[in-house]
Amino acid sequence: MDWRVSLIKAFYRGLPMDRAKVEMSRYGFDFLEKLLAGDMQLEYGELTLANVLHKYKLTNISEARMDELLRSHVEKECNICLYFDKRINSTFCFNLDNNHATNNTVIIPEVELAVRALVERLNNTGCNTLVVASGRGYHVWCRLASPVANTRLYRFMLHTAARVNLLLHEHGLDPLKLKFNFYPDPRIHDVVSLRLFGSEHAKNKVFSRVFTADGLLDEQASWAYFEDYLNTKTIEVDTFNQAFNSVVAPSVKRS
Amino acid sequence: MKMIAVDLDDTLNDFTATLRQTHFAYDEKFAVAPAVFDQYLQRIRNGSTEVEDLLSTEFSFFRAKIHLECYRRAKARADAVGFMRWLRQEGWRIVICTHRDLRSSYRHTKTWLDENGIPFDQIFRAGNKIVFCKLWGIDILVDDNLFNIEYGGRYGVKVYYPINDQNRAVVGVGARGFETFTEVRPWIGG
Repeated sequence: MDWRVSLIKAFYRGLPMDRAKVEMSRYGFDFLEKLLAGDMQLEYGELTLANVLHKYKLTNISEARMDELLRSHVEKECNICLYFDKRINSTFCFNLDNNHATNNTVIIPEVELAVRALVERLNNTGCNTLVVASGRGYHVWCRLASPVANTRLYRFMLHTAARVNLLLHEHGLDPLKLKFNFYPDPRIHDVVSLRLFGSEHAKNKVFSRVFTADGLLDEQASWAYFEDYLNTKTIEVDTFNQAFNSVVAPSVKRS
Repeated sequence: MKMIAVDLDDTLNDFTATLRQTHFAYDEKFAVAPAVFDQYLQRIRNGSTEVEDLLSTEFSFFRAKIHLECYRRAKARADAVGFMRWLRQEGWRIVICTHRDLRSSYRHTKTWLDENGIPFDQIFRAGNKIVFCKLWGIDILVDDNLFNIEYGGRYGVKVYYPINDQNRAVVGVGARGFETFTEVRPWIGG
């Protein structure tokens, strides 16, 4: 197995591997027939006009077929987006996007300040972050040593993001120009998926580079950082629980 | 295989009538104040095409919720159901082609199609249905949308459309309007 596929499977372990959103340029009924060979099923497809990109929500994916898809992902033939588990997950992610309707691949001051503030807050509580450029902003991933209930992860993310939005407001920036999404979201866990690290953005074909305090890493360094995160920065659940108490509990007491 | 793409809203169902005539009771799930609820609802019913600077707003969230409710409540046209079943009997590959955000509406859409006994092979969301039909080799599109009626023929896609107040006066190369779906059968070789 390709070492990059092994890393991805290890990092995202716990996310359901029997379903995925696949983004690719290939299309047509002959192609679809080959793609769905075996038991795999197409829930729905989508054509976006960004580089005539097609998206396919696939279900009933066998382990072997998922390995094939992940290999295509690291070889940049397609992008794989995974959904989150219905109840518990051992990764969670803040998705920060430029919320403008047009020209939204630009990193605006709101996104710039928010990602730095978010990472600082998370790191200060022991929640190590893996920040990946997403095209319209950043994905801020955290990986846990064992799974935690979605409701708890969501509350943690919601309270943390609220504090970041407050900071934007204090700096005279408009939080509405920034869009926060949280994964897993218990209300829509099976509706929204996230592109995995190792992908290329559909619009600008830019690799999902890792973002650090020193800026964006190149592709090779990003893979090295990803591997290092997996090996040394996974968060113990005790650490997460302390972070949860420091972020959520004070707000609850005040209310 | 003979292939056809068919739109959902205001083609197979009465989406706009449902949107305009349904009484939507205020509910906290809409995440707006009651006064804002009434204002937003009126704006949606008026078919506001106002271009917004931001993608995700309180209004866009509200509109998505109302639309989702309409997808569920909209009534299927009896003649449309008969037409779709006839297509199946005649061996057509049927692609449901919609503007709906299928991420949030797939389940409602699939349930509605199944409950109304409407057969289909695939469901696709397409920002531009003419481009979709060209790429996928589909020559026939049944759709009420003005843009598709006007431009489909120029790109080799025959568009047949249920006539309504919005599209009655539109002229498209090769496009044909109909009052009932039974008119379409001979046009496509039935």
